[in-house]
Amino acid sequence: MTKLKKILKIYKPFTKAGLQSAMAYRTNFTFFVIGESLYCFVLYFIWKAVFASGGSNTFMGFSITDITVYVFLSNIVKFLIDTDSTVSMAEEIKDGSIIMRMIKPVNIDHSLLTFELGNKIMMIFCIFLPVMLGLEIYRYVILGKIAFNIFSFLLFSLSVVLGYLLSFYLNLIFGYLAFFLLNIWGFSILKGAILNFLSGATIPLAFFPGAVRAVLEQLPFASLVYAPTMIYMGKLSTNQILFTLLKQIIWLIVFVLISDFIWIKAQKRLEVQGG
Amino acid sequence: MRFFRIYKIFVAQKIKMLMEYRVDFLTGATSFLITQLTNLVFIGIIFGQIPHLNGFLFQEIIFIYGFSLMSKGLDHLLTDNFWKLAYFVVRKGDFDKYLTRPIDPLVHVIIENIEFDALGEFVTGIVLFIISSRKLKLHFGPLDILLLIIAVIFGAMIFTAIKILGASIAFWIQRSGSILQIFYGTSDFARYPTTIYNAFVKNLITYVIPFAFTSYYPAVYFLRGENPLFNIGGVVVAAVILLLISICVWNRGLSAYESAGS
Repeated sequence: MTKLKKILKIYKPFTKAGLQSAMAYRTNFTFFVIGESLYCFVLYFIWKAVFASGGSNTFMGFSITDITVYVFLSNIVKFLIDTDSTVSMAEEIKDGSIIMRMIKPVNIDHSLLTFELGNKIMMIFCIFLPVMLGLEIYRYVILGKIAFNIFSFLLFSLSVVLGYLLSFYLNLIFGYLAFFLLNIWGFSILKGAILNFLSGATIPLAFFPGAVRAVLEQLPFASLVYAPTMIYMGKLSTNQILFTLLKQIIWLIVFVLISDFIWIKAQKRLEVQGG
Repeated sequence: MRFFRIYKIFVAQKIKMLMEYRVDFLTGATSFLITQLTNLVFIGIIFGQIPHLNGFLFQEIIFIYGFSLMSKGLDHLLTDNFWKLAYFVVRKGDFDKYLTRPIDPLVHVIIENIEFDALGEFVTGIVLFIISSRKLKLHFGPLDILLLIIAVIFGAMIFTAIKILGASIAFWIQRSGSILQIFYGTSDFARYPTTIYNAFVKNLITYVIPFAFTSYYPAVYFLRGENPLFNIGGVVVAAVILLLISICVWNRGLSAYESAGS
């Protein structure tokens, strides 16, 4: 218990700094979110046209209400699990400022994580909760009953946290690779395009043909956006939810181990020039 | 003449860089290519379930999509520097360098960089355009080809004008990258028929930020042969008006520009 208190005491300033930095750049951040969310509206109108042209009330088991909720919710989840760790890590290695983290008596991953937590707190209150409220009102108006389920919501929250941690370590590994192999910018765009697609942020993985779908659902990327969104929407049975969460935990452990391994190797090769 | 001589030097410089950082170029171009491919898979999945989208067949949607990539890619290839301006050149005070050279700053910004990554978009656009027009058995006479070239060039100019406008805002607020991103992002709406949108979005992308003229309107002329005055003429009119406005705003921004301290 005392150890936990000590850890909290060490990392609290990081979270506070993260929150302050998020507040300082809030205008820029708001514009960024608006720009990134425009595509949701494109998707919404496309789906509306799809339902109008298809003449059926469902599209592969999804109603128009389901799709609308999926489009907007998956976009928000994408923001929640998004992380800057790729860029921060790669840039700090490149310009040598990583040394400032290494000489402090803190764990590097944890200091990056707790800093980003401040950012996420603002995101939850300023974006996630308003959008969630909006979606619930939309569902209430369309369906005529409250579709919100507190258990689904709690499991969803757990799944998002796991998804975020997984995304963090996945991106950290990308960050190391970007540093060793290629230019960071092009690599980030490529990574973003592939992640969006494989994580279900563009299309629900359920819409892919059988075999492709089966593979995609097992990959770690499905744990990022698709898994939490489907849990929130109540599209999974209890067994499926447990299995999904288990998959997230296993992938998380795998990626933490890989990132630790690369970091140990990288440390030996790291040379910081000048000061 | 002098302009072309300078441009040649800049391009030669960029090609040398390209040869040096070949992997960077491949990563960049591949990333834009893959982004487009994922969108195509999305369209493919939709058409697996429905015969047409608001009266447009699969190949017709691909045709419009390919068209949008051609004008977008052409602009991306030639004027990518405005993004740098909007995100950090003005803020860091680095814009001073353009003011000290004996060449118009706007021209200088454009010719300084040629972004080969854009080929990922541009070539995909051409390929989709050719494949879908073959499948649709569209016939292009000499006049059609001329109109096509005009539509693509002026369509690209609409993108350029929006970028000049968005980057100019940085002269007042230092950093306008995310505002430009919002303007630019509305071009995503134009990749699909405007008939699927409500009146607000439709009017927005036709009359306010006229991206619909960079793809849907000219494409639908080649598909259906209707209303060339609006569908093709509109591209030219929209591009010229927007470009005039954006140059005007740019010039005002230049006089408002104050270099960053230090």
